[in-house]
Amino acid sequence: MSGRETAWRLLAAEFTAAIEEEKGIGDRAASYVLSPGGARMNRVAVVGVMGAPESLGREEESPFYRGRLEDPTGTFVVTAGGFQPRAMAALRSLAEPRPVLVVGKAHLFRGRDATVYPSIRAEAVRTISESEYRMALTDAVAQGVERLDLVRAFREGAGPTEAEARARGIPALWRRGAATAAARYPTIDLGPFRAALARALDAAEGVPEPAAAVPTHGKVQIHRAAPAAPPAPIARSAAERAEEAAFLDVIDELSDGSADGYADLRDALARAAVRGLTDAKAEELVNRLEEAGVLEEPIVGKLRRA
Amino acid sequence: MAESSIDPALPKEVRLRDLRPTEAPVIVLGRVVTASRREITRRSDGGRRPVLSGLLSDGTATVRFTWWDPPPQEIDRGTVLRAGPVQIREWQGRPEISFTWRTRVVEASEAELPRLIPEELPARRVADLSGGDEGFRLEVRILRAEAKPVTVGEERRLVHEGLVADDTGPLAFTAWTDFHLTEGEAVRIAGGYVRAFRGRPQLVLDERSHVDRIPGVGLPPAAAFVSAPPRAIALLEAERGSDLAVVEGLVVGLLPPSGLVYRCPSCRRSVTQGLCRLHGAVEGVPDLRARIALDDGTGALTVHADRAQTERLGGRTLEECLRRLRDTPDPGRLEEELFEALFGTRLRVTGRASVDDFGLTLFPREIAPVTPGVGGRAPALRDRLAREGRP
Repeated sequence: MSGRETAWRLLAAEFTAAIEEEKGIGDRAASYVLSPGGARMNRVAVVGVMGAPESLGREEESPFYRGRLEDPTGTFVVTAGGFQPRAMAALRSLAEPRPVLVVGKAHLFRGRDATVYPSIRAEAVRTISESEYRMALTDAVAQGVERLDLVRAFREGAGPTEAEARARGIPALWRRGAATAAARYPTIDLGPFRAALARALDAAEGVPEPAAAVPTHGKVQIHRAAPAAPPAPIARSAAERAEEAAFLDVIDELSDGSADGYADLRDALARAAVRGLTDAKAEELVNRLEEAGVLEEPIVGKLRRA
Repeated sequence: MAESSIDPALPKEVRLRDLRPTEAPVIVLGRVVTASRREITRRSDGGRRPVLSGLLSDGTATVRFTWWDPPPQEIDRGTVLRAGPVQIREWQGRPEISFTWRTRVVEASEAELPRLIPEELPARRVADLSGGDEGFRLEVRILRAEAKPVTVGEERRLVHEGLVADDTGPLAFTAWTDFHLTEGEAVRIAGGYVRAFRGRPQLVLDERSHVDRIPGVGLPPAAAFVSAPPRAIALLEAERGSDLAVVEGLVVGLLPPSGLVYRCPSCRRSVTQGLCRLHGAVEGVPDLRARIALDDGTGALTVHADRAQTERLGGRTLEECLRRLRDTPDPGRLEEELFEALFGTRLRVTGRASVDDFGLTLFPREIAPVTPGVGGRAPALRDRLAREGRP
């Protein structure tokens, strides 16, 4: 059965702690960002307070926006470009900070210094009322505590079997997500996530949050993610870094030598092939670099540094 | 010993339930449930031979029959036939019968069919029923019953539809006879059969079914089902749908085609590029619909909202949509406005859910927006958070 990808409800504290992913194999296969709290996300539905986004697109023809969605436990990075016209229009219309619902695809970008940046490529964005915000936070807490307890059970080797999960009314997706999280983050301390749930619940109930409860963005995410990284992904990302650098060199060479300043995608793939990068690998690199805002493709088939 | 005194050459009349492959001559009696006529090309000489095939039922079981060289006149659905001697074969564990050149087929009367004695039929539970079952007895509560006019061929008929339930769950039913079923009463049903309808079993009652009122002490009250709290979409999917599904979730998307659509005037199928799949070029009749992606964090499903529901949710009637389209000729804009009205809203949807290749689909009976709020969940959650580990 080919259903639609479920939109996971979770808090920023859990989302920004994600450093693992599961890449789909084959054409059009879905990829998943894995959180330590048991979310195995292709799509998310998250809430927070968001103000005016920053515009990252350099040209009028290639608009790209990035917003910061703050919930009581941290900050989600939300992006939308010309391929998400609906979400981009909604992002652009934001001025004053307001409670907002974002539904979108979860992505994980690995930077050059082995840090990872989870972000959400928005599919749709809407401002919501205060009471809708509170209800959505409560949902995230209710589902989060359930998933955390499942992760704990799997870590202790007491995770439910498929049949047990069904009998106990545990969603199959949650069981799988928790089992995956227990395997990929075997030692990460779950305590802070539990504390984050309590903080979000306070906010949902209207308990005023202490001023320091909202962490600042950027540094906190990296800080939390980096020490938990198991060695394997770092090694992989070193190789990826080398590939990225090689590919960017190709782009630079080509754009320097071209009349319009763009690197032609096909030329780039051909040269990358000479350097031992397969087409599939090169495509993946293009996607990843575009995602990270390093490269852009303002005209189909034409690349340049962003 | 009585049998041995009967001449073995004389055919014996057998209930369909007791039908087994045999060389002995057998007579069957049954009502035609379905019948369709076609022609089979003979391999030897390419000649064409007519054949009528369908289902025959006597209330104890239904079997497939094939009638070689049938009479040219129509055999109506409901006709009771006595046929013998017939050929019996087994296919995939079920008996099938053939009327050959040796078989004499005559019309019999309804009264000759075996009398069904409810007490003699095995009792079954709703959750155990599946398509093709019959010859059982069922004790259920009526959750809903209503009459709906339908057109069968040329004929206008009333069909009585609704839901029954026992403590194993709800089940949709269709009755072609009015049994005066009313909501809330407990009944014992005998002589119904089960067919698969859109991937879910459905109980069918006809003129030969028996319905008796019973006290229904052990049966859950109708309210237990009708005003049940919402269930996780994941669980609904694990159970492969339900005839009485209640879910609550956020609208996370709108799937095409949604908004203004055009339908074939004769079959109501949607028209694309002015063409109906069945009727070719037609003048499409405008209609409103919404295919809503509803998600509760455990799973997602598609809710098919009809015109009235879409008008209510979108805040705009079909006429208003058409008027707007005349002023601003961009149907995409209409769909976008419907999306804006719906996206992110929380809906409680009650209806019939089934699983197909595209996932879980819900045909709603009722769609109600949920008033947002924490809803008293906080204390229990705080408690849960305070306790470490499993509850």
